Amino acid sequence: MPINLSKGQKVSLTKGNPGLKNIMVGLGWDVNAFDTGADFDLDAAAFMLGSNGRCLTDKEFIFYGNLEHTTGAVKHMGDNLTGEGEGDDEQIEVKLTDVPANVERIAFTVTIYEAEARRQNFGQVSNAYIRIVDADTNQELIRYDLGEDFSIETAVVVGELYKHNGEWKFNAIGSGFQGGLAALCGHYGIEVA
Amino acid sequence: MSISLQKGQKVSLTKESAGLSKVIVGLGWDAAEQSKGFFGFLKSAPDIDCDATAIMLKDGKFTAKDDVVYFGNLSHKSGTVNHMGDNLTGEGEGDDEQIVIDLSRVPSEYDKIVIVVNIYSAQARKQHFGMIENAFIRIVDAKSNRELCKYNLTDNYSGMTAMIFGEIYRHNSEWKFGAIGQGTKDGSIGDICRRYL
Repeated sequence: MPINLSKGQKVSLTKGNPGLKNIMVGLGWDVNAFDTGADFDLDAAAFMLGSNGRCLTDKEFIFYGNLEHTTGAVKHMGDNLTGEGEGDDEQIEVKLTDVPANVERIAFTVTIYEAEARRQNFGQVSNAYIRIVDADTNQELIRYDLGEDFSIETAVVVGELYKHNGEWKFNAIGSGFQGGLAALCGHYGIEVA
Repeated sequence: MSISLQKGQKVSLTKESAGLSKVIVGLGWDAAEQSKGFFGFLKSAPDIDCDATAIMLKDGKFTAKDDVVYFGNLSHKSGTVNHMGDNLTGEGEGDDEQIVIDLSRVPSEYDKIVIVVNIYSAQARKQHFGMIENAFIRIVDAKSNRELCKYNLTDNYSGMTAMIFGEIYRHNSEWKFGAIGQGTKDGSIGDICRRYL
């Protein structure tokens, strides 16, 4: 039974699942139900952060323009531009044991591409969610419904994976921002061209 | 202070007003000034008859014709959703049509009430929402007459004949309102209901 997260909740991923090695972070949303309006393009990203809360280099920012970390520990499975189809629309795989030692946290974010130009926000996206699945057993561990907690925001730091006393934990941060992906990059020390 | 909503915004109604039971959903619109060019050959433009409708959904789905509250079915069988009557011209200040909902008594199988406005006979009269301006939806606490929130629809709805203004829905133990403001080219209330099958 997946844990349905509330904002601010911290859960241990490895406690209930000793031996958890590979996780899949899945993101889904439903396409526009009506015949008007542009497609909603939601983008999942992962920021691999050092002890200063920032990405060590640009290469630690995993997103549609940089799909795989050099170590292979974090891999984005590709950009879905419309949200068509059942189930997860985008996925990021994390091999927990391959995460470099100097990466203390991995922040997972969801942003709406061109939100301002398309005049879109999370309130208009139906059934947006993020979930974490044990990639080896396909068991869903955590689920967070983005549809209700966020309405006028265009960028959300959903949560962070972090190491604590040898365990991997997930902190459901649930912080919304205006400004889309660019705003988050600034926050994590990535320069936007 | 009434909350002014933007498209996509969701607010909790029960959080805004402790002990909230009945709300008045007020809808208003004005006919835009018609340019001579469009109707140049007519002496006067026909009135635009906008109709407010409340579609009651079970589990997000439309299941029965009598769950549609509109000018042809003013009162839901549960007695909890009542349409205050059809305004044929949009004349007058303030709300043009009102639907009163007794949230505390809406039967538990209904989890969402979608508020839609469409232009009566839009196709035949060659009318669309580009000819309407200042459209709004507001939710008022019926007991105190205090306006809780208001959504002014400001997108360009040219060519659209129906508009989903917003929805009132249950979430956990609260009633919330979502400002939708989505236009469609549906011709009739029936067409709109079919989207929720």
